[in-house]
Amino acid sequence: MTTQAGESQQVNYLASLQLFAPHLRGSRIKFVAAVMLAVIAVFLELLPIWAAYRLLSDAIVGELEWPEAIKLVSFTAVATASGFVAMGSALALSHIVAFDVIYRLRSALARHMATLPLGLFATRRSADAKRLIVDGPEQLEAVIAHGLPEGISAVASWIAVSLWLFAMDWRMALATIFVTPISLALLAFATARGGRRMAAYQAANARMNAATSEYLAGMPVVKIFNRTGESFKDVSDAVCDYARIETAWGRDYLPMGSTSQTLALANIVFILPIGMILLQAGSLDLGTLLFFVILGATYSQPLLRMFNQLHPIAHISTDAMEIIEFLALTPQADIGKPSSLAHHDVTFERVCFGYEGKEVLRDISFTAKTGEVTALIGPSGSGKSTIASLIPRFHDVQHGRITIGGIDVRDMRLEQLLDTVAFVFQDTFLFSETIAANIRFGRADASDAEVAAAATAARANDFILALPNGYQTVIGASGHRLSGGERQRIAIARAILKDAPVIILDEATAFADPENEALIQDALGALSKGRTLIMVAHRLHTTRFAEQILVVADGSIAECGRHDDLLTRNGRYTRLWNDYIDTGTGMARSSDGGIAS
Amino acid sequence: MMKAGNRKSHAGHSKSSDYHRLQRLWSLAGRQRDGVLRGILYRFAQSISLGFALVAVILVVETTGEGGLITPTDFLLVTLLLALSLAGQLVFGYLASANSWTASFQVSRDLRLSILDRLRALPLGQHMPQHRGDPVTLVTSDIKVVETFLADALPRLAQAFGIPVVAIALLVWVDVGLAMVALVSIVLSAPVFLWSSRRLAALALRRQDLQAEASARMIEYARGIAVIKAFNRIHAGQKSFHKALIDFRDVSVRIVHHLVFPLIAFGVVLTTGVPLPIFVACLRFFDADIDQNTPTVAIVLVFSIYTPLLSLIGVMEISRLADAALVRFDRIMMQTPLPQPCFPSEPRGFALKFDRVQFAYGLGQPVLKQVTFEVPEKSVTAIVGPSGAGKSTLLNLLPRFFDVDDGAILIGGVDVREISAERLNDLITVVFQEVYLFSGTILDNIAIGRMGADEVDIRAAAKAALAHDFIMALPDGYATRVGEGGSRLSGGERQRISIARAILKDAPIVLLDEATAAIDATSEREIQRALSHLVQNKTLVVVAHKLSTIRHAHQIIVLDQGGVVEIGSHETLAEAGGLYQRLWRRRLQSSNWRVTDANLSAAK
Repeated sequence: MTTQAGESQQVNYLASLQLFAPHLRGSRIKFVAAVMLAVIAVFLELLPIWAAYRLLSDAIVGELEWPEAIKLVSFTAVATASGFVAMGSALALSHIVAFDVIYRLRSALARHMATLPLGLFATRRSADAKRLIVDGPEQLEAVIAHGLPEGISAVASWIAVSLWLFAMDWRMALATIFVTPISLALLAFATARGGRRMAAYQAANARMNAATSEYLAGMPVVKIFNRTGESFKDVSDAVCDYARIETAWGRDYLPMGSTSQTLALANIVFILPIGMILLQAGSLDLGTLLFFVILGATYSQPLLRMFNQLHPIAHISTDAMEIIEFLALTPQADIGKPSSLAHHDVTFERVCFGYEGKEVLRDISFTAKTGEVTALIGPSGSGKSTIASLIPRFHDVQHGRITIGGIDVRDMRLEQLLDTVAFVFQDTFLFSETIAANIRFGRADASDAEVAAAATAARANDFILALPNGYQTVIGASGHRLSGGERQRIAIARAILKDAPVIILDEATAFADPENEALIQDALGALSKGRTLIMVAHRLHTTRFAEQILVVADGSIAECGRHDDLLTRNGRYTRLWNDYIDTGTGMARSSDGGIAS
Repeated sequence: MMKAGNRKSHAGHSKSSDYHRLQRLWSLAGRQRDGVLRGILYRFAQSISLGFALVAVILVVETTGEGGLITPTDFLLVTLLLALSLAGQLVFGYLASANSWTASFQVSRDLRLSILDRLRALPLGQHMPQHRGDPVTLVTSDIKVVETFLADALPRLAQAFGIPVVAIALLVWVDVGLAMVALVSIVLSAPVFLWSSRRLAALALRRQDLQAEASARMIEYARGIAVIKAFNRIHAGQKSFHKALIDFRDVSVRIVHHLVFPLIAFGVVLTTGVPLPIFVACLRFFDADIDQNTPTVAIVLVFSIYTPLLSLIGVMEISRLADAALVRFDRIMMQTPLPQPCFPSEPRGFALKFDRVQFAYGLGQPVLKQVTFEVPEKSVTAIVGPSGAGKSTLLNLLPRFFDVDDGAILIGGVDVREISAERLNDLITVVFQEVYLFSGTILDNIAIGRMGADEVDIRAAAKAALAHDFIMALPDGYATRVGEGGSRLSGGERQRISIARAILKDAPIVLLDEATAAIDATSEREIQRALSHLVQNKTLVVVAHKLSTIRHAHQIIVLDQGGVVEIGSHETLAEAGGLYQRLWRRRLQSSNWRVTDANLSAAK
């Protein structure tokens, strides 16, 4: 009960059903069987009561016969045992169905994910991926394995018991059920009354969560500035506040909520007096009265069970909605045909691009020639990474077009496009597999010698061999953490192995310290021969010798040319260069003054 | 290593019995024990009240069973019993919930506060690693599970036992023999219950481990989708994803198979309690050992004995979850806090000394080996070396983010472990590579630097950090709120706010971990200028990447593989023919880098 208070009041109970219904295909028979077994189980639970009633009636009038008693007792034993077998089988089946459905849903998510434009994933964090693939589908287990079979069987049982009671004696039936609507009404009142505090409760809950994560995330700062006292006070205030509001909510809820719970179990208190009166009047026999005592005592339970099963369904609706929305995203169009490319020049023709209503790139035109280095530079947020990401269609442009070898990237088969372009990401993503497997990701059929050659070219061979397990070292395991520069060199080895004619480096050396950067640059030198190399960079000495430097500012190309030409223009590039020289590569100026001044 | 440790603690825990779990919770309940206990007792009293209604039923059977009539006295008595029963159930039911709920809310509050308190006493290094999500989940959702256990499951336990106890007591009153028979199935089912609940716990832990592994692979697919797609490996990627999915499903299904049987067994054994006493009652009735009302009463009572006991299955589920939450809780509570000196000493001056410092993370390879060097007061020391040499670790030991394994670090001649935590933090400012901003205003974020700083001080610090201008350009100036983690500001702006904070603090020792990630040159230049204001007249130790920083340092410590290989000034080291010279040469080469065939062949 206590944990139920946290849910928002707007829930779409159907969302979870809508989500799993399509994936039930293939498990329908099992699912129907599970529900039927669950219903059979609750009916089997009722049979002993029938047997008991027969025994009672006979015993009271003194007509109980030995064979009859044996028969009824064994009947009871068989019915209870088979009831449990039925319930157990129903649970087992419904769980298996649940796991199958979750499996299918996750496969569908994975397949769908692969068809979406990659740009969608740029903003997704690991926690989102976890919610989408792991936690969201996982919650369906509660609905499929418990919610539906138990909810449906509870309803069936409630209807059956009600009918049975009325068939036995309508007056006693009324005496039995009359307290149930009162109990339910009180429950509704209690929920509504507690609900007045819902907003405050949710706010306190959110505040506690936020305060906790800030307390932990900010701990280094707080400690070093000697503020643990205050910061602990903030978070403990939030925790105490939450407890206070919870208690206040409980105080509001309990008077009626607890009364409702008690009444739901107290039918017997109303059955007995009415029964006595009817008994006295001679219009009811003791056996029937006792039948009502036994069956009536648990009359409200199926209803309570049903309400308990609704709760998880409401609980998962938010996550279910999120998955439904994700599955509804439009896949990237892949209608192109394989075409042969004469050369690998990458050309932007009047490209405009924006997302979420915000213009990011405006009228971008340039050509990156085969065999040349094209550098994209400019302040953070200017759009240079976006330009790079449009080439392998992480997003599709809104106006203009991008061609490789004269063919619009959208008219190429996606597979061909991705074979043509090697992209080294700013955040190096490595899989938790061996280093060899990570490099081989560039080309599945590469031999060990080729993997080692690519690593050597990426200047990664030496540090890999220095690891205890060399190429068989598993990334992320055994406490050995690779540095940013080492990870980037593995990613570059991966790209070298891929051997693609167009190479895009999105700040591929951004996280490297200068020692590693020098090594990586050597590696990039190895990569660029005879290919189209496009690089996004902040450290300007890495781009100084590029055949073409594009200075990107506010979503458009402000200047374009070689380093020397650009310096003579005394424009943006000159300013950036001077700032750059001032910040630490002072050495470059003194040792290389001819170029810098 | 971490993984193996966790698994070990899992295995260790799964052996402990249910009794231990309750005991642990009881000791954690602290001051709320009374409330928890009252909740359970009231719930029991509620069951006893229900017993009055059963007494009334017995009365009715006894009076009318052999054709007797209900006298007005009987009627009054029955009505009175029922009224008492209803009133008792209502009152005790309310008191039970009120006590259990209040107590459980307070226990969960106390548990949260004690984890949070423990977390701040731990060496900082222990929460810097990637698993920061864990304590947050622990404080929020895991404790909620414990709360549900205390508020719902424990009282339900009282109810599950309360009603049967009352019914059996009544059965004893009616016929002792029958009561014994009714107990048989309960006694028999107890070992089955314990066996199945232990099995459930063990399997659940295994499932957790296996599923954690499979879900890690699933998440990896989702996170790596960009790489997978960019390398055209969708098919291969999906294959391994599918394998993870199938593993996940198979583990789950296997566990269901393992579980169904114990659950059915428990249910079947327990509910033989229905036919068995009825059978014996009939038997004795035919032998004329008992009157005809006794079997009637027995049948009515028997039905109220076993249904409540079946709800133990549900309790088992919640208690398993609470158990897992308590294991995670203890994992944090059992960590040793950073030891504090009983009689703190005061450093004399701000010179630093590393004296044969030895350090390893956990039980891993040593990261620092016999590191010895001195830093004179108000001097600049640059730490350089290849990546993985231990440069950042060295910096982290000074403010005791970790403690050294051997050797000592001295400030003004005093071991840092002999200085009180508060004083130590007063002496040292750390400028982190990653800037953390709190979700308050910019003013709040700078004000953290010094207790009691007024707005004039704060503005002065911001000006010195070259942050004033961009702050004034924001819509609300200093009152602008930053999002959690300071997401609305650029990297360079956030750096400058953190520098303003450090300038405001004005500590005599500054530790600086120069950012390796490149940002654009203009922002970089501003940061450099801001830093130069911070470090004036300070003892500065900097993990340096920028040539200008290195060249202007008074001394350079060259680290390689955890050991100091060279110490000296730039001028001497650059010609010394050692590692520094090689690094320096490579740096120059990198500044002159060019993609040419000549370069390519030179590289080969």
